[in-house]
Amino acid sequence: MGAIQKEVVSFKGVDKIYNTGTVALSQLELSIKEGEFISFLGPSGCGKSTALRMVAGLGEATKGKVEVFGQKPKDLIRNSNDIAYVFQDSNLLPWRTVLDNVVLPLELRGFNKNTRKEIALGVLEMVGLKDYLTSYPRQLSGGMKTRVSIARALAAKPKLLLMDEPFAALDEMTRQSLQMDLLDIWKKEHTTILFVTHNVYEAVYLSSKIAVMSARPGRLASLIDVGLPYPRDRVNSEFTEYVDLASQSLEHSLNRKELV
Amino acid sequence: MTSQTATTNRSKLVVESSITDKKKIRGKVKGTILGPIIALVIFLSLWQAIPILFDIKPFILPKPTDVLQAAIDDWHLLWPAIQITVTESIIGFIISAIVGIGISILLASSRILEVSLYPYAVILQTIPVVAIAPIIVIWFGSGFNSIVIISFLIGFFPVVSNTLMGLNSVDKNMGDLFTLYNASKWQMMWKLRIPAAMPYMMSGLKISCTLAIVGAITGEFIAGIGGGRGGLGYAITVAAVQLKTPYLFACAIAGAIFGIGFYLLVSSISRFVLKSWHESAMKVEK
Ligand SMILES: Nc1ncnc2c1ncn2[C@@H]1O[C@H](COP(=O)(O)OP(=O)(O)OP(=O)(O)O)[C@@H](O)[C@H]1O
Ligand SMILES: [Mg+2]
Repeated sequence: MGAIQKEVVSFKGVDKIYNTGTVALSQLELSIKEGEFISFLGPSGCGKSTALRMVAGLGEATKGKVEVFGQKPKDLIRNSNDIAYVFQDSNLLPWRTVLDNVVLPLELRGFNKNTRKEIALGVLEMVGLKDYLTSYPRQLSGGMKTRVSIARALAAKPKLLLMDEPFAALDEMTRQSLQMDLLDIWKKEHTTILFVTHNVYEAVYLSSKIAVMSARPGRLASLIDVGLPYPRDRVNSEFTEYVDLASQSLEHSLNRKELV
Repeated sequence: MTSQTATTNRSKLVVESSITDKKKIRGKVKGTILGPIIALVIFLSLWQAIPILFDIKPFILPKPTDVLQAAIDDWHLLWPAIQITVTESIIGFIISAIVGIGISILLASSRILEVSLYPYAVILQTIPVVAIAPIIVIWFGSGFNSIVIISFLIGFFPVVSNTLMGLNSVDKNMGDLFTLYNASKWQMMWKLRIPAAMPYMMSGLKISCTLAIVGAITGEFIAGIGGGRGGLGYAITVAAVQLKTPYLFACAIAGAIFGIGFYLLVSSISRFVLKSWHESAMKVEK
């Protein structure tokens, strides 16, 4: 926890206005340090996915600057594997088996056949899907698909993992077990994680920091440092305090919207 | 204890319901096969009865038995004709598949090409083949080559329009995934757009396989005979001139049977190709 932690992502005065006129983000200022697990928490339509896409180089800021490891995201993805993205739905290619889906990033980056299989088997083992290599996505449950898409994201050993509501469509049990697995992976791989959610409990359970966002225009309402040690206990009174805190800033951001 | 009995009861229920499901499915299958057969039998009986009842001459409306008799009598003419038409349509279809898919990939790989050429493909499609067939005969001579080309021209457009639609309908998130890993245009095409277009491509091929037969038979009407042997279309024109109506019917029915067979073949190929993932191919499993 040195004072000079490396900066991974920085938003500097970022505006995003879609050509439909929707102001998705307004004056977003945020700095994310190496090794952090930061959650974007906010109501639907507040620009969480928009922000994440810009970090991945999949969208341009209308005003301001987004930088990842001091570079423009578009340049970064062109010549490195530093960024991986877990999409809102699992986004697997239906015509590829589990193994071939996980291999895809490595294939596109031109790894040789043996290396990519070896790596893919490693990450699939990590997410507990070693026995499903030859299954097709349609033969898997929702939770398993999510695991595959996480494995695919991890395959190229990213330094920054972006996750857009990866667990939103899952039942509570599956979600909790995946949350624990994700924390294990985070610890093991030393990645920085940017996680989007609109579930307060999820944000408090997972994150080292929570960026609460308000809607229309999307802006940062508050930044909460979650000072609880991992693994976290969901029924602990401190945990509940953080949940309350996050809920309050969320409500506050909603109310402010109504005043405007 | 109680919970145990409850579960056994429930599993019994499940078993029972699955039995009734099976019965239902079998009933459905029976219905879907039996229905058309009954309709066919009724249709054939009426067809047989009407010429007898109204004393219609066979050269106006032959009875099914007349048609069958004509097919048997002239089998030595019918069989070669069938073979020729089958060959022409299959070659025409294969060319339209290869050229159609090739052109679609070419158009889809360049926005400028697609925008500037696709309208002409549409216009080309609206020109009735019967109208351009004589020109094709002038260019390629009467007979086999011209007929294959006409069959290709008719089957070609559905392949192009369907494949293009498929190549352009890639899910946005999947495209983003490929962008994120800096996929080249070539990788996008072969690893994403073409696999994603498969279902569309297959339905285009299913349409064009039957059209290829229509094309071949129409082609034979116009480009007639070349090298001395004609196909079903030629046989039909000859039979019409000679008022050999029962034989004409036999030729038409032979064409239809081939059409159905060809369609079923292409459908099962398509089901095989899409087996691994496409939903419409999966319905069987559900
Ligand atoms: N491609 C686009 N074109 C135009 N407007 C868009 C586009 N994408 C998003 N928007 C708009 O921008 C705003 C923010 O969208 P975004 O998807 O970032 O929200 P979100 O916070 O991820 O919401 P959710 O929790 O529902 O996923 C919304 O009002 C949305 O309608
Ligand atoms: Mg979103």
